Amino acid sequence: MNIIRRENEFAPIEIAPPSFLEFPRFRELWEYKGLLFFLIRRDIKLRFQQTVIGFLWIILQPLIQMSIFYVFLGVLVKVPTGNVPYHIFFLSAFIVWQLFSQIINLSALSLVGNIGIIIKCYFPRMVLPLSTVVSALIDFGISFLLLLLFLLIDNIYSLSFRYLLIPVLLVITTVFASGVGLLFGAMMVLFRDMKNLLGFILQIWMYLTPIMYPISIVPEKYQIIFYLNPLTALVDAYRWVFLRQGNLPRFDHLLISLVVATVLWFSGAIVFRSMENKIADVM
Amino acid sequence: MGRLAIKAENVSKKYQIRQGLGGLQTSFKAILNAPFNWLMRQNGRYTHFHPSETIWALRNISFDVEHGESIGIIGRNGAGKSTLLKIISRITRPSKGKITLYQRVNSLLEIGTGFNPDLSGRENIYLNGSFLGMKLSEIKQKFDEIVTFSEIEKFIDTPVKYYSSGMYMRLAFSIAVHLTPEILILDEVLAVGDAGFQRKSQEKMGELLSSGATIILVSHNNNTIRNLCERTIWLDNGAIKMDGTSDIVVDQYSKFIREEN
Repeated sequence: MNIIRRENEFAPIEIAPPSFLEFPRFRELWEYKGLLFFLIRRDIKLRFQQTVIGFLWIILQPLIQMSIFYVFLGVLVKVPTGNVPYHIFFLSAFIVWQLFSQIINLSALSLVGNIGIIIKCYFPRMVLPLSTVVSALIDFGISFLLLLLFLLIDNIYSLSFRYLLIPVLLVITTVFASGVGLLFGAMMVLFRDMKNLLGFILQIWMYLTPIMYPISIVPEKYQIIFYLNPLTALVDAYRWVFLRQGNLPRFDHLLISLVVATVLWFSGAIVFRSMENKIADVM
Repeated sequence: MGRLAIKAENVSKKYQIRQGLGGLQTSFKAILNAPFNWLMRQNGRYTHFHPSETIWALRNISFDVEHGESIGIIGRNGAGKSTLLKIISRITRPSKGKITLYQRVNSLLEIGTGFNPDLSGRENIYLNGSFLGMKLSEIKQKFDEIVTFSEIEKFIDTPVKYYSSGMYMRLAFSIAVHLTPEILILDEVLAVGDAGFQRKSQEKMGELLSSGATIILVSHNNNTIRNLCERTIWLDNGAIKMDGTSDIVVDQYSKFIREEN
C-alpha cells in the first residue's frame, strides 16, 4: 500500500525546451527549504568562523563609513541635519542602505559564485539569491545595535511604539532589495560586464537617496523626482522611527511601497526563472 | 516490469558558440553591435558579421527506459554523453523534444558537490546531502551510516580542508551511495579510494542495482559497462548509433574504435 501511494505521489516531470518567460515554481522551492536552510547556515558559519574579527568587521564597516562622512559632510561641509548630530543622522540611514545594497550585491553574485555547483547539480536556482537575505539581515541586526548605542549616548533614544514600525519597514526593504537582486542576478547571466557595472550603479543609487544629506536641501520642485526612488520614502520612515524627524509615515504610502516592492519581486522572480535555464549553458 | 522510468522523445540540444568574445556569454559589445548586424542582414551582407556558430550536441534522441533497468552510455569524446546526462539531470534544458521522468532522479555527475573546505565533515554531509536532493530527515536517519562507511568517525567535526584527499573522496562518495534514488544517474565516479574502499563501493553499487533502482551510467571503461549494465546506448556525433544488449553494443563499439585507429 505504502509503495503504491508513493508511486502515485510522484507527478511525472517534463523536461522541455524553455519558453521565453516562465513562472517560478514556488511549490518546488518549498521542497528545497532544507537546502535553503543549510546554505544560510553555511554563510553564517563561514562569516563568523573564518576571521577572528568576523563580528568586529561587521561593526567596523558602518563605523568607518560614518567617520569618513562625518569629517567631510558633517564637519567640513556642515550639512544641516536638524535636531540630531550628523554622524547619527548618517548612520540611521546608512544601516538601511547597507542592508539594501548587501542583499542586491550578494543575490546578483550568488550565481557566479556557485557556478561549480550549478553545472553539476539540479536545484531551483532561486535558493541561491534567497539564501543571501538572511545573512544581510543578521548584519543589519548588528549595525542596528550599533545605532542604538549611539542613540543612547546622545540621549536621542526613547522607548517608543515607533519601533513597532521597524518590522514592517524591514519587510518592504527586504522584498524590494531581493527583487532588484533577482533582476541583476538574471542580467548577470547575460552580460558578464554587469559584475563591474553593479558597483557603480549601487554607488550612484546611494548618492541619489537622501542618506548623507536630508531631502530638504534638494529644491522643492525636484524633490518629487527623488521620491520616484522608493528608497527615499523608506529612509524617511526609518528616520522618523530612529530620530523622530519628519512626519508619521502615512499608512497608504507604506501600503503602496509594499505593493510596488512585491510586484517588483515577482517580476524579478519571473525574469530570474526564465534566465536560469541559460545559466548552465552560458557560464 | 514494463513500467516506464524515463521517456525521451526526439531530444535535440543546440549550443551557440559566439566567436571572439571570450566564451559563450554576450557582452555589451555584442549588444552595441546588434543594430549594425541587423542593418547588414537587411542589406544581405550579414554573413560577414556572423556572430555565432551553432553546434548540435544531440540530434533527435529517442529512447525509453523501464523501471529497474541499468543502462550504459558509451561514445567518443564530444559524442553528446555529458549533454544527455545534463538534460536528464535537469541541469540544462533541451532545444527540441522532451524528456519525461516518471520517478525521482538523483544525479551524481561529480562527488562532493558543494563541499566547502572550511566546514566540518558533519556540516558538509548535510550541505552536500541537501544539494543532492535528500530531505533533512533522510540525512539525519542515514548520518551514522554515512560516517561509518566513510571511515572518518574521528574527524567528523574537523574542517574538511585538513582531510587527506583519500578521506575527502571517501566522505563524498559515502554520501552519494547513501542516496535512495529511484533513478540514479552516474558519470564515471565509481573509481574512488584505495582497493579496499573500491571493493566496498562496488558492493554498494551492486546492492543499489539489486534493490531495483534504475541506473544510467556514462563510462569510458567497457568492463564497468559490461558488469553493471544490461543495456547500452552508443552515441556518436549527437545521435544514437546503436541501442541494445551491452555485450553486443560494446563489442561493436570496440571494433569501431579499433578500425578507426
